[in-house]
Amino acid sequence: MENSMTLYISRRLLQMIPLMIGISIIMFALIQAVPGGPEAMFLESGRFIDPTIIESYRHRLGLDQPLYIQYFKWLAAAVTGDFGLSFSTSRPVSEMILERLPATLELMLMAFIFAAIIAIPLGIFSAVRQYSLLDYLTTTLSFLGIAMPVFWFGLMLQLLFSVKLGWFPTSGRITVGDASLVDQVRHLVLPGIVLSLLYIAGWSRYMRASLLSVLRKDFMLTARAKGATERYVIWVHGVKNALIPVVSIMALDLAGLFSGAVITETVFAWPGIGRLFIQSVYSRDYPLVMGILMMGSFMVVFFNLVADVVYAWLDPRISYS
Amino acid sequence: MKANKLIIFVWMMTVIAMLATACAPATTPAAPAATEAPAVTEAPAATEAPAQTEAPAATLEITPEGKKILRVAYTAEIDILNALTSQNLTDIEVTMVEGLIISNDKNQYIPVLAKEIPTYENGGIVKRDDGKIDMTWHLQEGVKWHDGVEFTSKDVCFTWKFIVSEGSEVYNRDEYLNIEDCQAPDPYTVVFTWKVPFAPYATLFEAILPEHVLGNLTTAEILTYDAYNRSPLGTGPFMFAEWKSGEYVRVVKNPNYWRGPEYPKLDEIIFTFIPDNNTRLNAMKSKEYDLGLGFQANQVKDLRTIDGYDVSLVDSNAFIHFGTSIKSENGKKLFDDVKVRQAIYYAIDRPAIANDLMEGTVTLADTPINPLSPYYNKDAKVYNYDPELSKKLLAEAGWTPGADGILEKNGTRFSFTILNRAGRNDRIAIAQVIQAMLKEVGIEVLMETKESAAWTEQWRTGNWDATVGGWFLTADPSVTNLYACDGANNMTGYCDPKLDEVMKASDQALDFNERKPLMDQVQAILAEDAFDLPLYFNVLPISYSKALVNFKGSGTNLGSFWNCYEWDLVPQQ
Repeated sequence: MENSMTLYISRRLLQMIPLMIGISIIMFALIQAVPGGPEAMFLESGRFIDPTIIESYRHRLGLDQPLYIQYFKWLAAAVTGDFGLSFSTSRPVSEMILERLPATLELMLMAFIFAAIIAIPLGIFSAVRQYSLLDYLTTTLSFLGIAMPVFWFGLMLQLLFSVKLGWFPTSGRITVGDASLVDQVRHLVLPGIVLSLLYIAGWSRYMRASLLSVLRKDFMLTARAKGATERYVIWVHGVKNALIPVVSIMALDLAGLFSGAVITETVFAWPGIGRLFIQSVYSRDYPLVMGILMMGSFMVVFFNLVADVVYAWLDPRISYS
Repeated sequence: MKANKLIIFVWMMTVIAMLATACAPATTPAAPAATEAPAVTEAPAATEAPAQTEAPAATLEITPEGKKILRVAYTAEIDILNALTSQNLTDIEVTMVEGLIISNDKNQYIPVLAKEIPTYENGGIVKRDDGKIDMTWHLQEGVKWHDGVEFTSKDVCFTWKFIVSEGSEVYNRDEYLNIEDCQAPDPYTVVFTWKVPFAPYATLFEAILPEHVLGNLTTAEILTYDAYNRSPLGTGPFMFAEWKSGEYVRVVKNPNYWRGPEYPKLDEIIFTFIPDNNTRLNAMKSKEYDLGLGFQANQVKDLRTIDGYDVSLVDSNAFIHFGTSIKSENGKKLFDDVKVRQAIYYAIDRPAIANDLMEGTVTLADTPINPLSPYYNKDAKVYNYDPELSKKLLAEAGWTPGADGILEKNGTRFSFTILNRAGRNDRIAIAQVIQAMLKEVGIEVLMETKESAAWTEQWRTGNWDATVGGWFLTADPSVTNLYACDGANNMTGYCDPKLDEVMKASDQALDFNERKPLMDQVQAILAEDAFDLPLYFNVLPISYSKALVNFKGSGTNLGSFWNCYEWDLVPQQ
């Protein structure tokens, strides 16, 4: 069992290499296919621009070379961990990404943990008391949460809790000059709530559906027949089994930890990778876009593996041989 | 059961919260509640800050130690802090890096590191026998860079050398190419030799680079020199302190500022990056910042409701216009006739756009020159709204109404597309208004919206019919770049050799009395040629605390921080 698992993991890890290369080719082609280039940023300010500087700019960045040469140059550097210099800031892409990681992880983790704490019990109670008022409320809220435009919800929260009540700051990660823990937490609350809403909505639905299907299983009847208390049956036999697919889905969502949340970060001016990404796409900063995309893809592929391993570990019926 | 109740409670609170925020716009009674809280958020180091705020109306950034900190709610994060090579506007650099000149709130260029701007009268400009011009700048003495090294003419000539070097990527590099030599006869004198007279000479050198830091680097190295890009060395009232990526840039008082020990009056300025307009508005409303930039005209009403804050509608040189192009096939068919162009302009009600659509917050433009400029020609032809005249002109040009009411001529329908840029909502609104107005005279207007960079790519080719565009003009009135046949920023294909002649002559007229009649002529010809329809000059709504004194908003491309050395934060009684 141990051996086949190690074998499986090694195989998957090896598969990642051609997978990542394939992904990088597709990503590169896609961003180059989008019309407009980084020189558009020169014209963004509306000032008169000397057109010859656009040519020298493109030449310096190697944009006048054929696409496949640009790609191979990028790939050759990328495999050594060098993702090049950003077009707009001329700083190393890896440096730019790394300095935004702490803020991103902070926000995403907070949202994740908060969402997990709420979503799982919510889903469980919904399933156990199916068709009760609680269930209907939770279902409605879930659909609301999934359908809710993040942008609007974030601004509404800002208007209420920051502008009107003044309980929390409107945006940013800290108040300059005061980076105390209290200050940091206060800044985390609003964007954290907005973000976790999305996860709560989704995960509670999965938990509910999963537990419902488990509750109908024969072994539940057997456990009751054997004389266990209802609480024991539900928690030990029901929830434990129902958790398996839900945990896998959460593991997949974990990949998003590193990509940040574009809209939430924009609304709350959070210095995360999501905002960095959208800015880099807007300004056609190809090296930065590729760097962030590759990191995101790697996380997705990696956490897919983690999810599969966790699933196998939790469910003894599954074996990868 | 307990969980049940908790869930219901949470649900109720959410619904109530949503209802409450839905009623938010009628908010003035809530203002007192809001002012209490900011006193808590704004206390950086001490909890006794509430005692410091003199009046509940304005949040004061004076810390218990007496430090004056100006918090600015800025727009999206900038790329680099090199004022010459950055692709963004240079508000933040202006606080740290100075140049020979700067533009002020009256649309004039004033000397900064130079003692005065050279002219023929003061002997600063001398015409040579070979037709070239010698221009002498006398520099301020006793100016020190932030690292203590003295500022001299060496720095100015080095800056020129860098800008004109191959591949410098400075946005207006072509203008500096008119200077063919720079001499530094003594540490406080610079002499430029100009190939030809260049009237907009006072717009150049708004930033000087330090020769002792960058002198040994090649041009390509300077472009990617992180130390300067992230923390520029200047002579200005403030010095670079910190740049927290994605969050803010902090600059602190320069204790050895050359204007004297009483300047700057502020101790720190913090520029926080808030890219989203709505968030910035909310941030101003919750009084977390003393100064907020980058708002739109439709947010002015909201900004005016903030207690303790003023709104300055700074008249800017951001010139919004309706332009057509004859580089596209359709454009050439429709717009290559001056009568047709004039007819289209008569069909557009510009005052309605400026006063109704933009809610009276902008300045109507009759020519590309700002009405506040001394070069403005009030006698140039103006296209007042006259749909009947428009129909008459179109008929004279051979266009007759077809079966569906749309004009036709030789089998061509008068139908064109306005290319819109996603995100520029005010311009899209204008396009829609124009669409409706032109329908009245039998012209069909279609709309196409493209994402920003994609729009820019198509726009540069000229292969489009029409667009509602905007230029951020300098305080100098030259528009040759825009309308000359070979104008670097003329994407439309319109060409009038007579106009070119007058524009080029005015560009070489260094004397106001010589240049003014030429510029008048330029505006008159432009109006007759009808290449472009001026709509209005944008206002830059700036919200600032009543505690901020000496703020004089400037609508030039060099921004409103031109006099930040004399700004002060004074408690309001």
